[in-house]
Amino acid sequence: MISISPKALAPGSDTSFEKKLDLTNLTPEQVALDINQLNLFYGKKQALNNITMSIPKGQVTAFIGPSGCGKSTLLRSINRMNDLVDNCHITGEINLHGNNIYDKHVDVAELRRKVGMVFQRPNPFPKTIYENVVYGLRIMGENNRRKLDEAAEQSLRSAALWNEVKDRLHESALGLSGGQQQRLVIARAIAIQPEVLLLDEPTSALDPISTLTIEELINDLKKQFTVVIVTHNMQQAARVSDQTAFMYMGDLIEYSDTNTLFTTPLKKKTEDYITGRYG
Amino acid sequence: MNKWFRSGSPWIWLSAGGVSISLISVLGLLWLIASRGLSYFWPSELYQFDLTDQHGAKSVVIGEIYDREQIPVSQLAHLNLALDPEQEILERLLIKTGNRELVSLDFRWLLSHNIQKTQTPKDLVVVERRTHGNFYGFIESVVVDGKEVDKNKLDELLTRVDNFQDQIDDLQKSDIGAINYQLERLRLKTRKYQLQDKLTAELQVEIDSEIAALNQDYEILEKELMGYREQISRDHIVMRAMDGQLVTINFEYILKVTFNNQLNTFDKTLLFFSHIGSFLIEDPREANTEGGVFPAIFGTVLMVLLMTVIVSPFGVIAAIYLHEYAGKNAFTKLLRIAVINLAGVPSIVYGVFGLGFFVYMVGGSLDQLFYSENLPSPTFGTPGVLWSALTLAILTLPVVIVSTEEGLSRIPSAMRHGSLALGATKAETLWRIILPIASPAIMTGIILAIARAAGEVAPLMLVGVVKMAPNLPLDGNFPFLHLDRKFMHLGFHIYDVGFQSPNVEAARPLVFATALLLVTIIVALNMTAVSIRNKLRERYKMLEH
Repeated sequence: MISISPKALAPGSDTSFEKKLDLTNLTPEQVALDINQLNLFYGKKQALNNITMSIPKGQVTAFIGPSGCGKSTLLRSINRMNDLVDNCHITGEINLHGNNIYDKHVDVAELRRKVGMVFQRPNPFPKTIYENVVYGLRIMGENNRRKLDEAAEQSLRSAALWNEVKDRLHESALGLSGGQQQRLVIARAIAIQPEVLLLDEPTSALDPISTLTIEELINDLKKQFTVVIVTHNMQQAARVSDQTAFMYMGDLIEYSDTNTLFTTPLKKKTEDYITGRYG
Repeated sequence: MNKWFRSGSPWIWLSAGGVSISLISVLGLLWLIASRGLSYFWPSELYQFDLTDQHGAKSVVIGEIYDREQIPVSQLAHLNLALDPEQEILERLLIKTGNRELVSLDFRWLLSHNIQKTQTPKDLVVVERRTHGNFYGFIESVVVDGKEVDKNKLDELLTRVDNFQDQIDDLQKSDIGAINYQLERLRLKTRKYQLQDKLTAELQVEIDSEIAALNQDYEILEKELMGYREQISRDHIVMRAMDGQLVTINFEYILKVTFNNQLNTFDKTLLFFSHIGSFLIEDPREANTEGGVFPAIFGTVLMVLLMTVIVSPFGVIAAIYLHEYAGKNAFTKLLRIAVINLAGVPSIVYGVFGLGFFVYMVGGSLDQLFYSENLPSPTFGTPGVLWSALTLAILTLPVVIVSTEEGLSRIPSAMRHGSLALGATKAETLWRIILPIASPAIMTGIILAIARAAGEVAPLMLVGVVKMAPNLPLDGNFPFLHLDRKFMHLGFHIYDVGFQSPNVEAARPLVFATALLLVTIIVALNMTAVSIRNKLRERYKMLEH
């Protein structure tokens, strides 16, 4: 069965046809992340209720929902950033390559190298542009100048930033504009070649033009990485994603390919949300 | 009026007034110590006063005017002065007359009422001497090798003696000093072997031969030294003092002969700076009331630097633990409060602690373990520069901890998360991201620590400062930095010169000059740290918003 994804209608995107996936029945090769009965508590308050979903490889999956619905929390569980929150307690599992990332013997740093993350507000380090991009590689012990140079150029090209910064790689990253900083942070995240890239409302602090650039970038990124994006903006979800999950009050209400979810939602709550009755 | 109050301008005036008062007091303080301190170096006019006292006796006084004072006549009633009954106030002058071998006090008060005539004779000289202070008078004759020569040869002769004097200093300080140091080491070596029962006949012979060789060297050097001594004591000048007595001063003791009344402003300025120069680079003389303060400058700076080297890593590490690793519970809170309160403990208490813990316990144990050959005379079990630096490091630790912790908590969590999300561990994040960003705050802590430590005197009096240290803690003898040595400190120097000195009047300007110097050094140390901090801030400033 073949359908036109909604992003095909967005400006600048290609109009290729894609095969629609059956999200409840993916083959192991198609799955990037498998979330299984995930419950998350902040102290006594439950923030995620029994989430089960599979995130397909090489595609863009969007989490939408009103503020406080748990979409960012779910995203942060995927690379265990919630570990940094006091009193945060998790049951259930998230499988990456069939291994539960919440197993006791998992090296969290190693996990985060495989599952990169970009935050809501651009957070470049107070170092040069170059040092920002190669930071992850340096952490991994790579000190070969030539390799670092190559990786920096490649990542900056992938993040569509190379042409703007190639002449000032050794100037402070803090001198870039907000949109450039966010692309720099994306370049920094993909420099270590993660498998999954988590984007936590990556454009909410940016102007419309920068937002557009980042959206185009996300479209390119899915050729190399599995992208999971949290967004407030339903149009953005419609434009950039292949799959969309709608969450409400810590529950996963509906999860299907973007086109279906936005045109023929199955659940009443989803419909109310996307038609703007609340949220 | 009510409206004026509500507009808020009274508060603006009030706060501006507060700022002005602080500014005025700081400037006033600096002005006072600078003017009093610097006037010490300015070559003053030399006066000859012809006096007639109330009994009609005539006398002559020669010297510098040191101070002027207005006193009410009623205080002088016992002198039965012949005064105009209307007059209520009399002026009196404090004259520095020097010439300590003739009169025991080198200061003297004169009533201006008794002064008949004031002159500034051109050929009046002041002779600065190594001992006995200044001599004021007229040069009667210059004697070279028993024969009287022309007075114009004086400069030439002084230069000759100066050269010999330099060679003597070199010889005594470096060459003979080194031999003594090696002899002492050999003595300790022998003692060590004896204590360990390892002193064999061969070793004894070996050591004896080394000692013999050193003694031989010493004899050669001593002969050289005696030769120089003979050379410099060859000549002398004969001076005529204010009461007409003739005094012979050997060149050996003369530092400088100046005709102050023949100098123009330019010469005086040159002399002013040369006095400042010698104040900065010379050793003190005459129980610290004359000469320079170089050992005190050196001791102060060395001790503060040592303290900084010790306190910075400890403070930063402690702050990192408290802020990053310690659990956020009541115990940590208690610990933090304890650290903050530590800053309020009076410094003398730290001195007592330093003496009891560092000097007697740690130092005493070190002596038992490593320097037993020197016992019963202690090596580290006695106050010294290391223990002073450590004591002050503990004293300033809370300052560094508190400001580092503040710096750490100001860093946006986005920085940590950004680094952690790239697969860095917590330690890597700390080392590569957090500490560099917190470095301006750490520098602020160090600046405050330096400012506090450089001005402390009380604890140092218990753990290492002395009135006069014969050797600097840094010299050419292995291991070069002698942390066990006692040292001199400008703060203590001020106290010692000002309040423990046998010659209070002479010491007063020195107290101001030393105070000015201490302030200058602390400001210089602070400015260095501040400029480093500003460079760091510049690098990380964009993070503020």
